[in-house]
Amino acid sequence: MASVVFDSIFKSFGSTKVLHGISLDISDGEFMVLVGPSGCGKSTLLRMLAGLEDITGGTIAIDGRVVNDLDSKDRDIAMVFQSYALYPHMTVRENMGFSLRLRKESVRRIAEGVDRAAKILNLGPYLDRYPRELSGGQRQRVAMGRAIVRDPKVFLFDEPLSNLDAKLRVAMRSEIKALHQRLKTTTVYVTHDQVEAMTMADRIAVMNEGRIEQLGEPLELYDRPANLFVAQFIGSPAMNVFEGIFRKDAVEALGVRWPATVKAAEGQSVTYGIRPEHLSFGAQGIPAQIEVVEPMGAETEVLVRIGGQSFTVMTHGRASYGPGERVMVSPQAAHAHLFDISSGRRL
Amino acid sequence: MKRFTREAVLLLIAVPILLWTLLPIYHIFLFSISSKDSAFSGTLWPDQPTLRNFGTIFRQEHFYLHHFWSQIWNSLWIAVAVGVITLAIATCAAFAISRLKVRGGRAVMNLALFTYFIPAAFLAIPMYKAMGMYGLLNSRWSLVLAMVTLAAPYAIWVLKQASDKLPIELDEAAKIDGATPLQLFRLVYLPLMTPSLIAIGTYALLLAWNEYLYAYLLLSHEQTIPLAVALGHFIAADDSPWELLMATGLVYALPPAAIYYAFRRYMVSGLTAGAVKA
Repeated sequence: MASVVFDSIFKSFGSTKVLHGISLDISDGEFMVLVGPSGCGKSTLLRMLAGLEDITGGTIAIDGRVVNDLDSKDRDIAMVFQSYALYPHMTVRENMGFSLRLRKESVRRIAEGVDRAAKILNLGPYLDRYPRELSGGQRQRVAMGRAIVRDPKVFLFDEPLSNLDAKLRVAMRSEIKALHQRLKTTTVYVTHDQVEAMTMADRIAVMNEGRIEQLGEPLELYDRPANLFVAQFIGSPAMNVFEGIFRKDAVEALGVRWPATVKAAEGQSVTYGIRPEHLSFGAQGIPAQIEVVEPMGAETEVLVRIGGQSFTVMTHGRASYGPGERVMVSPQAAHAHLFDISSGRRL
Repeated sequence: MKRFTREAVLLLIAVPILLWTLLPIYHIFLFSISSKDSAFSGTLWPDQPTLRNFGTIFRQEHFYLHHFWSQIWNSLWIAVAVGVITLAIATCAAFAISRLKVRGGRAVMNLALFTYFIPAAFLAIPMYKAMGMYGLLNSRWSLVLAMVTLAAPYAIWVLKQASDKLPIELDEAAKIDGATPLQLFRLVYLPLMTPSLIAIGTYALLLAWNEYLYAYLLLSHEQTIPLAVALGHFIAADDSPWELLMATGLVYALPPAAIYYAFRRYMVSGLTAGAVKA
């Protein structure tokens, strides 16, 4: 186990700058998720930690030792790839024991290591199969097994669940989390899926265009997004946002007044944000028209139209409304978020 | 109905092509089981089919066949050497260019492609001169080196394309697992490239086995020439022993046919692997 410290990390591919001075401390045993849209630099950062990309500027330290110039194999890390990257010509057993074989460990030691990992991941019955004979989920478990066998200081995951179907993804999510709780190995996990980030992370770093937009615990990011980007990226369905002018404890927008407890300067242009679950239907409020009703069982997602803009409202239980119906929507002022219109920062 | 029409059309094309291909082979076969007198009788099957010609060949009982065994051994030796050396060069080159991304790899690939524009016959005389300067004329190595030179660019090209298809994550995973480039080559790259390697090895081997022009130029001693050149000597005489020529030809054609048959699975997948870049 070890801490990981990124200090002012820069990365360029030719003249294209992809990382602009990333600093991030990951403590011993922490599950850190790097999340962001495609091209935000999260995978590049992970690959730099793995030693698969050169570092243009800054330092990366694992367990207090700067690893910039170390080969991947000397960094004591293990990585799980999106495509599993299992060696197709080796059995599960050979795949998992490959790193130990390269280290010239004894046959007994390799067998012990593989058996231990296989037990943790319930891979026992598949040890003599080839990767092509396994399902996607099993392959991903083998990839994790290969990482566990090495007993590394840091686990790196590069979008490991992206190739799995939705149901399996949820199951593997819990499995990876349980694995982390059991092994307590420092983990850096890259994903573009904010639900994965929210459910698995101890802390999340939301990245965008080569910078960290916000770093914090999942619910902290959800409840107090530092800027408009994080507000819109974290949370599913996404936060409803629109622009307006702040006047007397409310924001005037779309022809109505939207209450807020947060203060802004009188007459200031702001972006008003409210999460779908903080809008509710009632006898009073803002007039709206139902567009689409999506029942999901425990909850119902309702798309409504207010002043020409679409809003998502999340209600518990079943909705008795139909498309085209006129309703009243009331926002919970205490949960409204205000952002500066030019910088996007939270007010 | 549509499927039926399509198959009918395919058959209409395939049957004439098959006949066209098989007819000469049948002709060779016919000659080789005929006696000297009946070889030109023009019948579809000889009156008295005989295997005596093969006996004559294997016992080296004819003027043109006195060195049959050493000549077929030359052919085999040269073909295997060309196959192995081409494979070694092309595999290392493809690995270095495609996987290790060495500097100048692109230039090497372009040069390899450029060699396609120069016909092999065009280089025959310069090659003869070069081998003469090295003192290699009449040595089997001269033909081996010449054939490797001709086969290697295509081999590098195909193997590089096939290498590009292996996911780069495998290399990265191996790197993280602690593999050195040499271990990566030996433990991951070679096993995964096997089909392409077999295909290219066979290609180079058959290229050398079938070569006539270079063999004719570079080797002239009865003891050093491959069988392909020796076959050419048959028709130098006024009264050529056609039945023996055809029987020897048939024997000479068997090893490549056997090799191709054994590796046909790899030949198709291996050679087309580089055809389309995924």
